[in-house]
Amino acid sequence: MPNKSAKLGLIVYCSVLLWSCTSMKKFSSNYFYENEQTLTTIEQSYKKLYQDNQFSVAFTDRTFNNISFEIITDSIKLIYEFEVTETRLQDTLVKYKFPVKEVTGLIMQMRAVKCIWINNLDYYSNQQKRSLVYMSFRPVTFRLPFNNEKYYTLTFYAQPQYFDSEGRLFATRQLRKHRKINDEIFRRINDRVCYTVSERFR
Amino acid sequence: MVSLFYKTGKFIRSPVLHMLIFLMLGSIAHVFANENPLADTTPLSTKKQALIYLEKNKELAASTFWPNVPPVFFLQNLKKNIDNPLSIYEGISTNFCGYAAFSYLPLHDDPLGYLTFMIQLYRNGKAIYGKEYFEPSKEVKLAAGTLSFKGELDIRPADQLWFLALADHFKGYLNFFDKQYHTGDENKLWACVNFAKFNRMVRNLFNYQVSAIGSDLFRPGIRDMYEYLANKLQTGTVALLVNNVELFKRNHNRLKVGIPSHFIILLDVEEVNDKIAITYWDYGFKSRQLLSASFLGKIIFGITTAVKKTTHAQ
Repeated sequence: MPNKSAKLGLIVYCSVLLWSCTSMKKFSSNYFYENEQTLTTIEQSYKKLYQDNQFSVAFTDRTFNNISFEIITDSIKLIYEFEVTETRLQDTLVKYKFPVKEVTGLIMQMRAVKCIWINNLDYYSNQQKRSLVYMSFRPVTFRLPFNNEKYYTLTFYAQPQYFDSEGRLFATRQLRKHRKINDEIFRRINDRVCYTVSERFR
Repeated sequence: MVSLFYKTGKFIRSPVLHMLIFLMLGSIAHVFANENPLADTTPLSTKKQALIYLEKNKELAASTFWPNVPPVFFLQNLKKNIDNPLSIYEGISTNFCGYAAFSYLPLHDDPLGYLTFMIQLYRNGKAIYGKEYFEPSKEVKLAAGTLSFKGELDIRPADQLWFLALADHFKGYLNFFDKQYHTGDENKLWACVNFAKFNRMVRNLFNYQVSAIGSDLFRPGIRDMYEYLANKLQTGTVALLVNNVELFKRNHNRLKVGIPSHFIILLDVEEVNDKIAITYWDYGFKSRQLLSASFLGKIIFGITTAVKKTTHAQ
């Protein structure tokens, strides 16, 4: 009898594990298309704002009420913590000459799609510096206890990228080697957008 | 002499010989220390001296030992490090943060010593730095200059060489199961630095007076962290071993494991209202962040203070 219940337990555990894996995969492939317009708007407005003032934003809690706002100047990175509705956030944005309405709008859009991190990431291709917009999301899926949190990450490139037959991102057209970002292989969503599922969100 | 024993391999194999040499070297060091009080000082040099030395070596020939490190890019990288010591960059997703943090010391206090070592290592494939003899493995020599997808580290071959040589040479308990370099090991246990190893590297290479408090698992029991750090900053360079995950992820997870994983150099500490503003160096950049005293106490696991040994101090 105990043997039978142990077997049953094992089957249930494996089923849940399998379900959580497929659920994550489905989340990855569908998420971009379901939210394409909002995600593209976030990417475009972030890129535009970043040209004038370099910054990145992270939501630091599960309830999406607190952010870490990183302002990058020529000599130092200033890391501030705010509640999203706090007036201190707006005062700081004014102090560093950010367009307040646009930045707070971006933060609210991020909150709406549960984007926990956005930044500009430099990478090198043929010794040339390039940059991409990196966005991470915390998927609301079932997670087994003691399993690490997984994040859904999107990368937006300025130029079309090259992929293998399975849709994995190549380093360059000539170099048929998979490009890794944050030690992860990314997969194609379209020519300029890739995704991965990772334990790291930044 | 030490290098001779390392080369023959007998130094490691025979514990009796090991002990004899240790005693012999110890007594020699003791004699020197007594005869010449200047011997036990921290080597210091200036940026100007380093740049003159670099200029003298501008015709550096390609090294057969480091086939993937072209001399032009190697020298460019070294010059960048001398001109802007804060720009040294451990790379995205590597475990080189300990080596990058400890590079702060020679780049600021003894850039000539750093350059001399780097150029000798490049030219001869082996070199001595402080008390240590370096002769990196063949795998490491082939890997330097080929690391990619690490951000700016991709185009800094001298930094790749430096980090790989250090990781190849110094071993701590975290490296126990992965001692031999294989491709991709820069992101794995092979490159990890534990707190004791960090302090040993600072002592053995640069001869600072090192005082350390804390450990890899337990936080130091410091009642007033602000006061402690402020006092330490007045005496020397302060490196912190912190729980980086906690610093960035905060409340994403319900279950959090408090293990430190990142070395930073503390540059300034200041009380701002009821919080503490820390200015620190990591990832090739200075950052300033306001934290509560309790949170700061929670993320710091190790504090290392490196004080220059001077003749005056003696």
